[in-house]
Amino acid sequence: MIPFYRLERYEGNEALFELVLMSIVSTYAGEPLHFHAEGVRGTGKTTIMRAARDILPAIKRIKGCVYNCDPAAPHCPHHRNLSAEEIEKIGVEEIPMPFLEISHSAKVGTVAGSIDLAKLTDVSNPEASLLPGIIPQAHRGIIFVDEINRLADTSPEITDILLDVMGNKPGHIQIEEAGLPVVDVTVNVSVWAASNPDEEPGPLDEIRRQLSDRFDMVCYMGRPDSVDNISHILKKNSYSYKRIGNEENGKKNTGYRDAEENIKYQKDIAKWAETFVKTDLPDFLRNFIARLYIKYNLESIRATEALQQGAVLYSIIKRRDKVTISDVHHVIPMALKHRIDGDTLVRIINDIDGRGVKDGILSFKGKKTQKKGETAVPDYFQQDARPLKDISRSELINTEKTLTPS
Amino acid sequence: MDRQTYVDRQTNVDKAISVGNYLNLYFGQNQGIRLGDSVVVSRKAHAKMPEKRLKGQIKILLNRDAGKTYLDFVESDQVVHIDIYHKPGEINPCDVAKAVFKAVDQYFLEKDPQLQYAEDERFKIVAGYANKIFISTNQGKGTVYDLFQNIMQPISEDEEGRDHIHMLARLNQEEYYLIYVITEAAEEVVLASGAKLAKVRNIVHGNQKQAEESFAGYIKIPWKSFKGQGATPLPAKENVNQLVLKLAEKFGGVHEIDEFLESYSTNIFKRKGIEQQKKKWGDVEHYVQQLEELDLIKNTLVGKILTKKGMQLKEFIINHKCEIESEIRRNIRKVPSGGMSGFRKLGKVEKKASCVKLTNRNKTINNLDNTWAGDLAVPETIIQARKNCFLRNDDHFTVRRKDLHYYDKKSYIPVDICLLVDASGSMAGDKRQAACYLAEHLVLTGKEKVAVVTFQERDSKVVVPFTRNHQTLSKGLATITPAGLTPLAQGIVAAVNLIKSSNVRNPMLVLITDGLPNVPLWSVDAKADALEAATYIAKNNIRLIGIGVESNKSFLEKLMDKGEGVLYLVDDLNRDNLINIVRHEKKNILQTAKMA
Ligand SMILES: [Zn+2]
Repeated sequence: MIPFYRLERYEGNEALFELVLMSIVSTYAGEPLHFHAEGVRGTGKTTIMRAARDILPAIKRIKGCVYNCDPAAPHCPHHRNLSAEEIEKIGVEEIPMPFLEISHSAKVGTVAGSIDLAKLTDVSNPEASLLPGIIPQAHRGIIFVDEINRLADTSPEITDILLDVMGNKPGHIQIEEAGLPVVDVTVNVSVWAASNPDEEPGPLDEIRRQLSDRFDMVCYMGRPDSVDNISHILKKNSYSYKRIGNEENGKKNTGYRDAEENIKYQKDIAKWAETFVKTDLPDFLRNFIARLYIKYNLESIRATEALQQGAVLYSIIKRRDKVTISDVHHVIPMALKHRIDGDTLVRIINDIDGRGVKDGILSFKGKKTQKKGETAVPDYFQQDARPLKDISRSELINTEKTLTPS
Repeated sequence: MDRQTYVDRQTNVDKAISVGNYLNLYFGQNQGIRLGDSVVVSRKAHAKMPEKRLKGQIKILLNRDAGKTYLDFVESDQVVHIDIYHKPGEINPCDVAKAVFKAVDQYFLEKDPQLQYAEDERFKIVAGYANKIFISTNQGKGTVYDLFQNIMQPISEDEEGRDHIHMLARLNQEEYYLIYVITEAAEEVVLASGAKLAKVRNIVHGNQKQAEESFAGYIKIPWKSFKGQGATPLPAKENVNQLVLKLAEKFGGVHEIDEFLESYSTNIFKRKGIEQQKKKWGDVEHYVQQLEELDLIKNTLVGKILTKKGMQLKEFIINHKCEIESEIRRNIRKVPSGGMSGFRKLGKVEKKASCVKLTNRNKTINNLDNTWAGDLAVPETIIQARKNCFLRNDDHFTVRRKDLHYYDKKSYIPVDICLLVDASGSMAGDKRQAACYLAEHLVLTGKEKVAVVTFQERDSKVVVPFTRNHQTLSKGLATITPAGLTPLAQGIVAAVNLIKSSNVRNPMLVLITDGLPNVPLWSVDAKADALEAATYIAKNNIRLIGIGVESNKSFLEKLMDKGEGVLYLVDDLNRDNLINIVRHEKKNILQTAKMA
């Protein structure tokens, strides 16, 4: 697999690279950012997302905790009632930030949790206990769902679970197993999804609108469109390039440089996450987003939250020290494309560009210009009229029926 | 206050309340009214009808909600639209606002004289309304609140010649009485300005023809970043994308956009005349004009041709064919709004439907009935048994009946659809496009096969045999060019034969026509032959639905009677109506099957 830093970047996949970084930074800081990459085959969306696994920084957890308990804030049924001393006794370990996948044919038990078969079938000491599923095990990390449209179509039960997990930040999940007590834990995971809207069963927003809206951001992938891009991609995938590349880099061992680059990312991410925790959107930009919400009648308040979170993150991964209007501008298509129609989207985009941030508020400003042809036609009205005050009450109301001579 | 004034005012309050009640009644019936002589009030957009011989009429556009049209509201019925028509004259909107403000204030004072002692309260009420009423005249516009303070927005060029005061008020039903108060005050200003009020001769309710959108107004080209360094190219990309999708909506797929743009190339062999274009795509002039505004097409000595930018666009479309086609298909999959408002249904069919049962490997259920039948889910059963052994304290592994898990069953009723489309001359343009769109929507959203048969000139043609393949479908559809007469009997026979010779499940024949048959098949009577042909549909146990226009009702009713089908009458053969009708009918089949 080609490492993250060496993947070919071009206009059509740029947004996905940005989203991957933004989401990891946010997740590492403790605030999930869910996104969905939609695109036809051959856009490399899953390759990029899977390659991101290697740039994930490490997290600390209570030793051996399958729920990834943060030693400073334990949340799982085993550790949540323990004191700091007791936790210290168990110990702390470092693991890579979780990156787990849910396939479109997954079952509820695998995703949420089910009875622990290892313990149940233990010959000497069988025991009935819960084994947390993929989602609770991905706490403080990433869940990747490829072909999410198919999952939503075939498994409404898992879709409901995802809705809960993504409903709030943090979300929560219930693990149920007949005969055992129900466990309800918080989960802080970023859900990454990919789908091809063009294959069965069609785009996610037509299958389960609610789930599509839960994604803070979306990107529509484009295919590489220049000869240069494509020949680069070919070159990077050629056997000889891989060998020579490795020999050049491999002073000590092959892949030495790859590891170095990955570590660089991990360090950046940790640093960016620190900045993210401290950075707030300036008030004027927040007001600006609020005005978009009102002016364009955006239905989803999540959209505005995504704009806020996204603009801050974007400014950080671009190594800027201030969030500016252009950061908001940049994330508008990502945060809104799956929630509004294309006309409204270009109106919003062009509106900002043309008139800047200062534009006034409220209802009547969103006015469309009148259609041509409504202007005066000379002599269209031939008779004069009496004013209302001279008209008796019985003559005030005239309907099409009363006005049309039969 | 002298007695006369008192009486006047009292009648005013009475008039206002009575008007409020009537408005409530008529708005509730989705109607507008003419208030007095010169005012039209509704919750819709209004239009003149200069194309009609009779002048002075105002059309109330039932399919254009005022709030949505003028203020980009999402929900309908939030805004009352008042137009006060006048003869030429300049009307100052600030004067109107002041009069309205005063009249509303007076009105509340009369209703509740106590208010004169509560200045703050009184101002709050009136200011509240002042923010909810918007006025636009030929001199300027703004909310009453702003205009009252002489804060006025300029009007756009096309509002300059306006011959009415255009008011929008966000009022709820209990507040409609204010409409009389507002309107009377505004009329006074017209008269005081020296202009005369104009009499609206008549009002008419109807739909606006699918408004041709002026996308040149909000789409911005060129698409290379127009803000200098550091500017992101993305927004520009969205602009181009949206433009292409607009063109696709009008012309069909990428292939047809290309065909259209070729008509403006310098290659004279590929150029299609405007009449030929119209046959296929309907009104193209509007689009050409829009593209001219966007500087993509220009006028030259040899006629209209693509500009350099226009050629770039063409190239962009070819280079991004894959993604664009995918997005076009995404749009076609969208379920239209409107529900059942655009058509009415006559008759009903009861035909048995066969259903297909599938095993759902994603879901298991505990065996609840006593049949022992079903698809046993072995892994789940073993796990359940192991768990229950433990909980039951069995000393060795056993499987009991309550441990058994089965795979769930899904069932669905496939309905393969054959569209029988009238391709006579009258179907050219929008109607042709709507029928094609329906076919594509069905293939892209369903799991069933679709076929298209057309009839025109003197014959019928299988344009697309039953298929699930979108490409096969769009290739076939692109060949439809409406022209000539309406040989309905031929069409029916061809469709029935196609269905009989294909491997289809629960076949449904959907007839789409805007005319009456005028080419006979067996006799000299085209209608009689069509009726005769319809009996074959019934004989072959094919479900039939007919979609036609109101004016052909009596013939279509007879036809459906012979074919044992259901008739849908539409005011407009547009794509939303077509899709909603077929969806409605498929839903019916499901429900009937469930009940049986
Ligand atoms: Zn724990």
